[in-house]
Amino acid sequence: MNPEDLKYHKEHLWVKIAGKKATIGVTDYAQDALGDIVYIDLPEPDTDVEANGEIGEIESTKATSSIISPVNGRIIKVNEDLSESPELINDDPYGKGWIAVIETTDASELDDLMDSAEYTKYVEEEAK
Amino acid sequence: MRLAILGAGPGGYAAAIKAARSGAQVTLIEAEEVGGVCLNLGCVPTKVLIASSVLFAKALRLEDFGIEVKGGITPNFPRMIERKNKIVTIQQKGIRNLLKGHGITLTEGRGTLTSPGEIRVALKNGSQDIVKTDGTIIATGSRPLQVQAFPFDGERILSSNDALQMEELPKSLLILGAGFIGCEFASFFRDLGVEVTVIEMLPRVVAGEDIEISALLEREFKKKGIKLLTGVKADKVDVRDDGIRVSFPDGKEVSGEKMLVAVGRAVNTEGIGLETVGVDRGSKGEILVDEKLQTNVPGIFAIGDVIGGFMLAHVASKEGKVAAQNAMGGNTTMDYTSVPSAIFTSPEIASVGLREQQALEKDIKVKTGHLQFRSLGKAHIIGEIEGLVKVISDASSDKVLGVHIIGPHASELIHEAALAIQKGLKTRDITDTIHVHPTLSEVILEAAEDVHGEATHVPKKLLT
Repeated sequence: MNPEDLKYHKEHLWVKIAGKKATIGVTDYAQDALGDIVYIDLPEPDTDVEANGEIGEIESTKATSSIISPVNGRIIKVNEDLSESPELINDDPYGKGWIAVIETTDASELDDLMDSAEYTKYVEEEAK
Repeated sequence: MRLAILGAGPGGYAAAIKAARSGAQVTLIEAEEVGGVCLNLGCVPTKVLIASSVLFAKALRLEDFGIEVKGGITPNFPRMIERKNKIVTIQQKGIRNLLKGHGITLTEGRGTLTSPGEIRVALKNGSQDIVKTDGTIIATGSRPLQVQAFPFDGERILSSNDALQMEELPKSLLILGAGFIGCEFASFFRDLGVEVTVIEMLPRVVAGEDIEISALLEREFKKKGIKLLTGVKADKVDVRDDGIRVSFPDGKEVSGEKMLVAVGRAVNTEGIGLETVGVDRGSKGEILVDEKLQTNVPGIFAIGDVIGGFMLAHVASKEGKVAAQNAMGGNTTMDYTSVPSAIFTSPEIASVGLREQQALEKDIKVKTGHLQFRSLGKAHIIGEIEGLVKVISDASSDKVLGVHIIGPHASELIHEAALAIQKGLKTRDITDTIHVHPTLSEVILEAAEDVHGEATHVPKKLLT
């Protein structure tokens, strides 16, 4: 269910690591719990972000939720397609629904993230 | 007794009716039109126009409601202006009839105090009238504030008055000032498809509101495609044949077909004889009054925009009633405990009482409760899910201190909160009250419940 090549953050974000670059998005569990996503306030490219700092907001028909950065770094790219089609997050959370690419300042922080199995367990715990 | 009132706006005519009902012989003097700015150039005409833009924006979503539209729909701006003028005329007539019915003399002309007991009126027909009086209420109101760098020309650089007289929609509009007037016009024009850029010196829009309300309005404006430039000071304006160009100190520029300047209101205190009779004024020119709304000159009272303060029509009306009683020998003081206000943007904003940032400044320990409109069924039923209610209560006494709403029908929903604050009620008094389901009013109930962590429809937080 949760791709094994990705890392996971407890705020239900997935992180795809390629060198210093971390692509982030929300997990399938999160998109399902949020319901139909109607708007996303995307972060600005070229801004510095702090780990656990708010970088944007997701609005679904049920709730609005902050998107936080899982790492310290700088936003280098955002998925502009989401401005027009935020529902991509519902349709394809691990693909076309990616949110942003962050260049990390300290790649070792990525080691603190959960792997797929740990995240699956984490979600089961949360649902209890 | 004889009572003269200068200005037939919402303050002046309310005072006139109150005094007449109490047996005074009232002369109401008006230089322009009965109803004042509120009816002719403010609250009423803007809300008529906004009724059209809101309906248009919703009509674009008719298919979501299962209504098919054959052929397109387009805004007809001249018809909107025509409808506005018609409604204003009906209301003017209504006020004239009310005045007549109460035996109030309406003297149409510009009045000037020549002594505490006498007002000279330059009548509209060119002749002159002298009104002798035992008491006077000044209710001359306010007008759009003109900034030297951006002088109104009625063509390219518009005041809010000019914006109500436009013959066609501009393609693009720059709005200077993101207070309630600037934001209402921004919302109106954008909903009709105009490209709108709002320029504001302060760091946020509607800066008088709670900080969370400003943030949400900014987001909704962004969603509509309104361009927001906050925390910037416009430097210069360049008026050209093809439009307006505004520049900033850093060399950046923005351009548009027209520009609306909505940076505040100036009080109308010139040429009404204040110096002659010796009425004291404050630093912004506003007339100074005591808690009974009397000026330093016995027998001369002042109400509404001309005394500064809230500058709200409904406050002026209340002040009018208080001043009328006091002018007739009463001993009533104005109570500003609970003054609700509304901003008719889309989504609407309404608030009453303490803002959270004020609680911090004043070091008042508070609790807050929040509820998003989208958590409730009724918001989905009417297809307007955007918005938030925030209840602020005293951390120890549980008394409601402030309520802030952004969302559908906010201006109607606020009154439950206004009553709670006026009467010193607690959030528990609200939560003990059964609210009809499904209604938007449930937002107040649940936001009050959320103060205690008990709101039924607050979802368990998924993301932070």
